[in-house]
This record gives sequence, C-alpha cells and structure tokens, in this order.
Amino acid sequence: MTLPAVAPVALTAAVALMVLLLYLLKPSPRRLIVSSTLVWRRVLRARNRAPDRLRWWVSLLLAMLIALAVAAALTRTTLGALGAAAERVVLVLDNSATLATLTSDGRTRWEHAQSRAREIIASGGADSRYLVADTQRSIASPRFEEAAAALQTLDGLRVMPWNDPLFPDVLALRDQNPSAWFISDGVAAIQVPPGVETRSVFQIADNVGITAFDIRAVPGDARRHQAFVQVLNGSPGAKRVELLVAGAGHSPMIHTLDMPGGAVANEAFDVSGFSNGPLRALITTPRDALAADDVAYAYLPASKAIRVGLVSAGDAALERTLRLLPRAQLLLVPPQRVNARSGVDVWVFDRYAPAQPPLAPALLFRPPQAQWLPASHGDIGATAVTWWVRGHPVTDGLSLRDVLTEHALAIRAETPTQVLAADANQRPLILASPFGLRWVEVAFALQDSNLPLQAGFPVLLSNVVDWMTGEPLALKSQPGEVRLPLAGAQVVDLQGRAIQTREAMGATLAALDEAGLYTARAGERRLRVAVSVSDPSVTAVNASRLADQPAAPTLQARGWNFAPWRALLLAAALLLVLEWWSYNRRWTV
Amino acid sequence: MSVDTFFPGPRTLATTGPLLDQSFLHKLETLSLALRRPAHGQLKGAHRSRRVGSGMVFTDFRAYSPGDDIRNIDWGAYLRMDRLILKLFEEEADLPIYLFVDASRSMDYGAPRKLDYARKLAAALCYVALLSHDRVNLVSFADANPRALPARRGKSQAPQAFRFLESIQPGRQTGLHSALRRFFGAPRTRGLVILISDFLDPDGIEPGFALLRRFRHEVVLLHVVSPEEREPQLPEEVVLVDAEDGVASELDLTPSLLTAYREAFRRHGQDVEAYCRKYGWAYMQAPTDVPLEELTLRLLRQEGLLR
Repeated sequence: MTLPAVAPVALTAAVALMVLLLYLLKPSPRRLIVSSTLVWRRVLRARNRAPDRLRWWVSLLLAMLIALAVAAALTRTTLGALGAAAERVVLVLDNSATLATLTSDGRTRWEHAQSRAREIIASGGADSRYLVADTQRSIASPRFEEAAAALQTLDGLRVMPWNDPLFPDVLALRDQNPSAWFISDGVAAIQVPPGVETRSVFQIADNVGITAFDIRAVPGDARRHQAFVQVLNGSPGAKRVELLVAGAGHSPMIHTLDMPGGAVANEAFDVSGFSNGPLRALITTPRDALAADDVAYAYLPASKAIRVGLVSAGDAALERTLRLLPRAQLLLVPPQRVNARSGVDVWVFDRYAPAQPPLAPALLFRPPQAQWLPASHGDIGATAVTWWVRGHPVTDGLSLRDVLTEHALAIRAETPTQVLAADANQRPLILASPFGLRWVEVAFALQDSNLPLQAGFPVLLSNVVDWMTGEPLALKSQPGEVRLPLAGAQVVDLQGRAIQTREAMGATLAALDEAGLYTARAGERRLRVAVSVSDPSVTAVNASRLADQPAAPTLQARGWNFAPWRALLLAAALLLVLEWWSYNRRWTV
Repeated sequence: MSVDTFFPGPRTLATTGPLLDQSFLHKLETLSLALRRPAHGQLKGAHRSRRVGSGMVFTDFRAYSPGDDIRNIDWGAYLRMDRLILKLFEEEADLPIYLFVDASRSMDYGAPRKLDYARKLAAALCYVALLSHDRVNLVSFADANPRALPARRGKSQAPQAFRFLESIQPGRQTGLHSALRRFFGAPRTRGLVILISDFLDPDGIEPGFALLRRFRHEVVLLHVVSPEEREPQLPEEVVLVDAEDGVASELDLTPSLLTAYREAFRRHGQDVEAYCRKYGWAYMQAPTDVPLEELTLRLLRQEGLLR
C-alpha cells in the first residue's frame, strides 16, 4: 500500500479515534439531590425514551460523520479511489482562427470545444491528471494537473488565429495511460498523431470573408493607386455581399456582389481620391458566422511624384530602372547645374559628387573625393559583397549575396556613417549617413559590377528613394505576434494606444491581435503595419476533414468525478443540523 | 463523586429561635379548630358530641325515669300534661387531635425547607388545639417508626409540644402506611387527624389513607409544596438523585419534558385532593413560599379548617 493510499485511512482512523476519546472524556452531567424523583420517574416512563446506550451510539455516529466530513473537506481529500481509475489524459484543443465561427446555437465552435474538453475532464476519476495544450502553443509548458487546475487552464485558452496550427509535441508526456484527445473543427491542416481520439466540433456555417486586400500604383501613373480586394464566399449557398472600401478624404466606395457558394470575387477600386493613410475594406452579409475575416486594412502611400535628379555620364540600366520606379519622375541634370537646380527630391550621382552637399538626399555611385563624403584612399580591386545589414530600410528585403565588382573605392568608414554592406575583408562597399542630410554611397560604379543585373537592384533603388523621402512601405501581416524589423520600436494603433511589445534579437515583437493599421517607431524610422486576417483557409470555414464525422455523444462521468470538499462541507453542515435537531428532540445525548 | 444540592442552606436541621413568635401566637388565640362531625372525646370539652348529657344545647325530650337528674325535668310540661318529661342536652366533649408531621428526607428540601414549614404549621395548629383544651397527639413519621408525643391538653403544654416539634429530624424514606398502621395499632379514640406532608410516598398514598378511612377519623391533609418542586430550575443535562432512596435519574431537560413534569406534579396534587374530596376529607396545599401567617389566619379560615 502506497503512502497516498495509507494517508486517507490514517486520517480517518485518527479523526474517529479523536472523536471517540472526546466522547469518552465527555464530562458527566451534574448530579443534583432533589426531594423525590417520584414525579420525574412517572414522566420519564410516560415518554418512552430510547435506551441511553442507543442514543449514545447514535450521537457518537453523528459526531464521527461530522468530524470525518470536515477533516476530509479541509484536507481536500478526493474520492477518486471510489470512482473511476486514475488516468493521465492529454487534451489538445484546436484554437486556430476558424474555431471562432458561430454555430447554430449562438455559441462558437471554440466554446463547443471547451465544453467537450470539460466533458472529458468531468468523465474522468477525481485522481486523474490532465494535460491541456493547444495548437497555437499558447501554453508554453503544458503539464499534467488536477481536474480543477486543468479546467482553469482550459478557461484561460482562447482562439489565437495567428500561428500556424500545429499538434503540440506533448504525447511524449503520456507516461502511464495513453489517453489523448484532440478537439477540433477539422478546418486547419493539422497532422494528428496516431492513437489520438479526435472529437469534432464542426458545424456547417455561412461565412464570407476578405482573403486579400492590396493597394498598388497604377502602371504608368505612379500618382494613382488601385485597391484590389478578393472576397471568398465560404458558405455552402449563394450570398449577397456588400463590399465597402473606406478611408480619409473621400466617401466610401461600395460594391454589391452576388456570389454563389464557394465563389471568389476580385474587385478593384480606384482609391486615388483618398488621402494617403489607412484604408479599410469591409464586407457585410447576412448570417455571417466569422467576423474576423470581414475586415482588412491597407496603407495608401502618398501619391505625389518624387522627382529624382540623375547626374550621370550615361548609364542606361540606371536610368531605365529609375524611370520604372513608382512615383519617380526622373530629371537628367548636367553636373554644372546641380547647385542651381531646385525642386529635386532625391539626387542620384553616378561617378560624380558636388563640392558642397546638395539640398536633397543623394545616392552616389563611386563618387570622387568630396569634403562632405568619407575620404577614400585608392582602389581595392575586384571584390564581392559578403556581408550586409538586413534590418536597414535600404537593404530591407534585399539580397546582395551575388554582387561582384571589379573596382571599388577603399573608403574609410567614419562615424556617424553606417556601413550597410562590406566585402570579406570588412571593407565598406555601401555606406549611409542617417543623420542630417541623408545620403547613400556605393563604393563601386555600376558598370564595374553586376549589381544592375541583380533582381534586387530595383528594390535597392526603391528602398533608397523611400528611405530618403521618408515613405516606407507598409508591412502586411495577419493578427498575432508580429515581428517588426525595428529594434526597440514603440507601436501604436490608429487611436494612438500603445501596443505591448517585446525585444527579440534586434527586432520587436508586437502583439497585434486585432485587425487594424499600426505604426511602429524606432528613432527616426517609422513602419506602418496593416494587420488583416485575409486568409482563404480561414474564410473557408466549411472545408473540414471532419465534416462527415458525426457529433460525439456526451460523455458520462465514469466515477465520482468531483473534488468533494464542498459537498463534504455541506454534508457536515447538514449533519450538524441533524445532530442539533436530534439533540433537541433528545434522540441523541 | 461529589453530590451537589440544588438549594442553598444547611442540610441538617438546626432550628434557630422559637418556632412561632409571640405576636403570631396572640393572633392564634382567637382561632379554634372547626369540626365537620361531632367529637367523640371522652372528656368535657368545647366541641359538640353525639352524647346527651349536661351540656347547654337542648336536643330532645323523653319520659322521666327514676334516677334521672330531676334538674332537667320540664316542669312546664308537667303542669300542662301531668306527666314528667325530661329535657335532654347535647354534651360537649373534647377532641382528640392526631397531628402528623412528615419527617422523611424528601421534606428536607427547598428554601425554606418543607420540614421547617411543616413544623411551624403544626406548631400553630397545635397551639390552637391546646387553647381549645383538645387532646393533641403530636407524631413525627418517616418510615415505620413514628415518634409520638403523648396527648397534651391545655395551653400550658404548648412549650413541651413546641420542643417536640423542634426536635424532629429528617428521617429516611416516606412510609405513610406503615407509620399510620403502627400508630393506630394501639387503641385510639376517633378524632381529627391532621396530616402535614408532601405525600411523595414511593408506595403510594392510598394504603395509608385507607387505614384512616377504616378508623373513621376526620382527616385534614395539608400538602406542603416547595416552589423548587413546582417550578424546577435545572440544567439541560442533569442526574437527579432521589433524597430518600438515592435512585438517580438522568435527564436531558427539554421544554416539553419540563412541561410534562409540571403537569405531572400538578396532577399529583390533584390526585391527593380528589381522594380527599371523595371521602369528605379536607385538603389544602401549603406552599412554602406563602407566609405562614397568611396560611393560618386567612387561607385555613377560608377553607373552613379554622374559625
């Protein structure tokens, strides 16, 4: 017999012994001499009392029951040994986005999943232990707990649509009893390990959602933008959908769509009339079961043209690429007119540098010596880019791995300049000055390298222009914890409320749980983040592999599945009342 | 095991001072015992009797016989009828009084103790009887051995009677029947039996009363009741020990049980009274919380026991 098995027996025996001793030590009633007990004896004979010994035993029994009930309640003794066998049960709940879908009874699939989990916990023995985990891994360290603690853990879970749903690696914890349950609607593609019993909470629902929302410049006219909206009818039947795009500076634009079940609609809106800033796409349709995918956000960039002044002896690739940049208006400027030319937003100097710093930011390719630029000391010959900064706006989304050059300036990097790319000998090949007048210096000429042939060359030019003109591209993300490529960034939503963030290896992780447009700031850097669900796999709430599985019957409790201390306290109270009543009736002593 | 008593005060009898004070005795001198039936005393006294003799109250006529007292011849009748007619008078006799005081241990109870109260009540009645020149027999009884003071007559015997009463000690168990049988085992003139007791006899009262009925005494029962018996104040759990036989009774006192006891105690008094009424006896309760003067000067007179 193990110690846990001995302990309740010992407790019971100790309490019973103590009560018995107290009864035996109970002081005798007072003895009083009276003139005669003749009348008393007549009365007692007439009342036909129960024998004193029997009354004593009944009283002792009641007292023992009360004491045992109170002791058991105080020590939280469970009656698991009297009920079902103790088990170890693994409960994995699917809390991906589609679990937020409403069902016909007004509850969400998630609430049904929680109810199923509670049923499973309720059906186990009181000594059973439960491990609760979720497919979004919101519980960092799942562990086996008592039923009450497991229920608390269960209550703390919620639908978290952002991570890729994954069956957690918890089955290794099933050390004794291989009982594992997975509760899901079957929509998310989750690989369920063998031996796990799946319980479905799937129910067909009507849902229409926005699966894509993007804003692009009109080809050939960078000052005009179009919004592209993709709508998916995930319902089994046809739906009439009202699609609305709204923003500042213009009245909302509405399209009404009649969509058969499973159809996809692609709609385009000319959003040039809106002021730059957040745009919101919203659909409304009757009996929509999932609200999360009914709204999407995007950021409309400034539509004014950026005048790029190019000073070059002639580089066709550079000129062509600059012309293709959205919103870029290329101006070819002779070197002698650089200082006289006004109205240029960004300068691009190809093997040229003015003696004085220009009035606008500048991108320079292998510039000659100038006072306002870092000094160079000769040429470093053939080399290649082997290292570059990945978090900088200029090199954001850019790979320079294959950039080779035959000649490059040997530039001495001085503070406050920042080296953005270097060769294997740590010699700077691309530098930037983030303070004061922004400039980016490339140490080699384009015709000396294969950079113009790289796929990232237009991106580099676009990044440079955006960085210099302060118009970064908006980041798009799904709700959840979003990794922002800014260290120490502060994030606010459209209402200016601060969003909780944490640092992660030179980046910032922001808890962007709701769809919306957020702004992240880190020093002078600013980043827009448009958060939308926009996921066809979420909108298609009926694409379940469990669609054919009948609903599982409600589980019946297999034992006394409750930690009975409350019931024991109640029983003790009732027994106390009974004891008081019986004492007053003189059925007990 | 310690034995507690329910009431304060000494348990042994130690009477301090005279039984009755002088002023109370003076008040008693105006009273006399009232009889319902003619007395059967052998001596001249103050009570009516069935005997015809030289009394003051005319009862009848009869023909004169030689030897009759010629002082009782009705000479007027002789002149009218020419016959000698003798007037008859009711002879007044004394009254044999048997005054019994219960000295059992159950009387040693209450505040004031029932025995003290009974003793004073007996003293008062004894004094009244002595003033009427009745023959007073004082008897204290508990069990089968009653103590008796031989008959006394006249006021001058009062101190002796009082001393006897003062000397009564609580005895053992009540044995009314055996005490009466023992006392009336000797020839006694029919008279007035005054029985002062709590009538808590384990053997019952009827055997003793039947004995009194057989001797055809006139009986007055004075039932001494203590307020502690009538309205007991007891803890919820108590063991009651009978003062006479020592039998213990464990009680879990509830209001209903207390009510039942009060009812039983009241019924006990009613039973005694019913017995008395049935056989023409006088009965009266003498609660110890009623002052003795009020009992004797007012209540006994209202009941017709004194006049």
